[in-house]
Amino acid sequence: MSEVITRKSLQDMVDAWIGQGRFAAGPVFVKPDVCMYAPLASGEQLALDGFIHPANSIKEFFFPRHEKIYTYRFKGHRLELDDSEPAKTPQLILGARPCDAASIAILDRVFNWDYKDKFYNLRREATTVVSLGCAGYDNNCFCTSVGLGPAAEKGSDAMLLPLGDGEFEIRCFTEKGKALFTGKTQTSSKEAKPISGPENRVDVELIVAQLEKNFEDPAWREIALRCLGCGACAYTCPTCHCFDIVDEGNAAGGARVKNWDSCQFPMFTMHASGHNPRSTQGQRQRQRIQHKFRIYPEKFGETLCTGCGNCTRNCPVELGVLNTLLSLREYALRNLNEVQS
Amino acid sequence: MENVYKPELMEVVKVQQHTVDVKSVRIRFLNPAAAEEFSFHVGQFGMFSAFGAGESTFNICSSSTWKDFIEFCFRKTGKVTEVLWQIDEGDVIGFRGPYGNAYPTDKWEGKNLIFIGGGIAMPPIRCAIWYTLENREKYGDITIVYGARTVGDLVFVDELDEWAKHERVRVIQCVDPGGETPEWKGEIGLIPHVIERASIPADNSIALVIGPPIMIKYTLPVLDKMGLGKGDIYTSLENRMKCGIGKCGRCNCGPVYVCKEGPVFTLEQISQLPQDY
Repeated sequence: MSEVITRKSLQDMVDAWIGQGRFAAGPVFVKPDVCMYAPLASGEQLALDGFIHPANSIKEFFFPRHEKIYTYRFKGHRLELDDSEPAKTPQLILGARPCDAASIAILDRVFNWDYKDKFYNLRREATTVVSLGCAGYDNNCFCTSVGLGPAAEKGSDAMLLPLGDGEFEIRCFTEKGKALFTGKTQTSSKEAKPISGPENRVDVELIVAQLEKNFEDPAWREIALRCLGCGACAYTCPTCHCFDIVDEGNAAGGARVKNWDSCQFPMFTMHASGHNPRSTQGQRQRQRIQHKFRIYPEKFGETLCTGCGNCTRNCPVELGVLNTLLSLREYALRNLNEVQS
Repeated sequence: MENVYKPELMEVVKVQQHTVDVKSVRIRFLNPAAAEEFSFHVGQFGMFSAFGAGESTFNICSSSTWKDFIEFCFRKTGKVTEVLWQIDEGDVIGFRGPYGNAYPTDKWEGKNLIFIGGGIAMPPIRCAIWYTLENREKYGDITIVYGARTVGDLVFVDELDEWAKHERVRVIQCVDPGGETPEWKGEIGLIPHVIERASIPADNSIALVIGPPIMIKYTLPVLDKMGLGKGDIYTSLENRMKCGIGKCGRCNCGPVYVCKEGPVFTLEQISQLPQDY
């Protein structure tokens, strides 16, 4: 037996949520063939099929690409600081892919070790994440290679699983999820048939061993030759969380803001002296993969990648994490063959 | 929930110009409660704000034994430091910290100390020098080797003379060949060569070496030859930082976040890190 909700009831639920002045977001076709997570003006906009993965991720609802952290005002020689508070309006994210929902559970770690980032945490507390189990996958998906899958529960308060005919099975994992769906579902004998997900594309354990053993891998130079350093991978990645802190203002005052940043930009690590520890694109690509598969797991016990494939889908030169990992393995095997022959 | 990115407001008490492009600034907390609560240990750093321009990372170059103010020192070289260059007594800037680890001054007790600094790297050594001088009985002989490209590039020159007056303190000043003036009484030569010539006893010693990467690279073999172990040589890394609290993701060096596990490392620790600094 399962709890089932119809598309119509879901849409009504979203409308009621928004009607109470609260914020809802979910996959929306912003153009005929472009699906993105976006704020919802009505339940009707919510796309629940016809896409593999939205072009962005849900991290922006927790960690906006541009966020005031406080404001300052000059008063002669003195000045005043005012704390900025993120809105505490309850947020509903409906239709997040399980790989995106999982990213939030992973990001919880870095925003809470030792120092707690209140901007992330207040949004996190105010948000209910309802994920949408996958009915398909494409060539770029590799969630199963990083321990997740098309119906992974990590980070979700509840999950919708498509039953066909405009119906969804609801599985609630947390109190937030239960609170949202109580009284809105019907008990049914239908149960969602889980899909198997993409086949395991790459052996992450082997990759980690390779990253540990061979920091100065010459493969990085070649892999990065075609990288344009645009940062699209990082901006559309659900787990990339590096940011910049800058001031925006005028002679009267302004705001200090956190902006998304990317390790693929040369300025990211440039010292004031001009010295740059990561002066080549190869070093920067290496940093991205090292951070995701070795540094973050070592520090926080979580791989900083959910296998969503967005980095590859959005990459102008078809790099991205999966292709980079596959190339790394290829280079390792080629070297092995050369040594043997 | 506390806003970990929000600085404390600090009043500028004193500005001292050291060279054509280096100044040090003394600041104190405007909020008495924050002043009361604040403590740090030499070697730690802070994030200093020039509102409108941004935030930069500097070592707190005053000794942690001094209570009413803290000091930092900078070279005019970018957006934030251009604005800091203009500040005057009475102006207000921002500070958050202290962050990072500190010099293990407890572990150094009973040892001879060799401080080696190049150019603008004097400030992060200066705090340790004052700290150890103020706890003089706990430490053995102190040797300070300080060099810069030219005489005009030396910072905290007046304090160098003051340090030399202390017991069991030897101060060796040097400038690169060609950087001397007719009045120059110090050594002429590159720091590694000057150290070699100075025949500094290295038994029961630690060395704190801070300076440009090229200076450190050529100084280490000399220290090795003198007999200092890798665990006895300390330095402070200077990776670019934005948050200072292990979030923004740019200061890491392999698996190490320099802002959290650093900036102070022994050569032994550094030799296990990838070349990413």
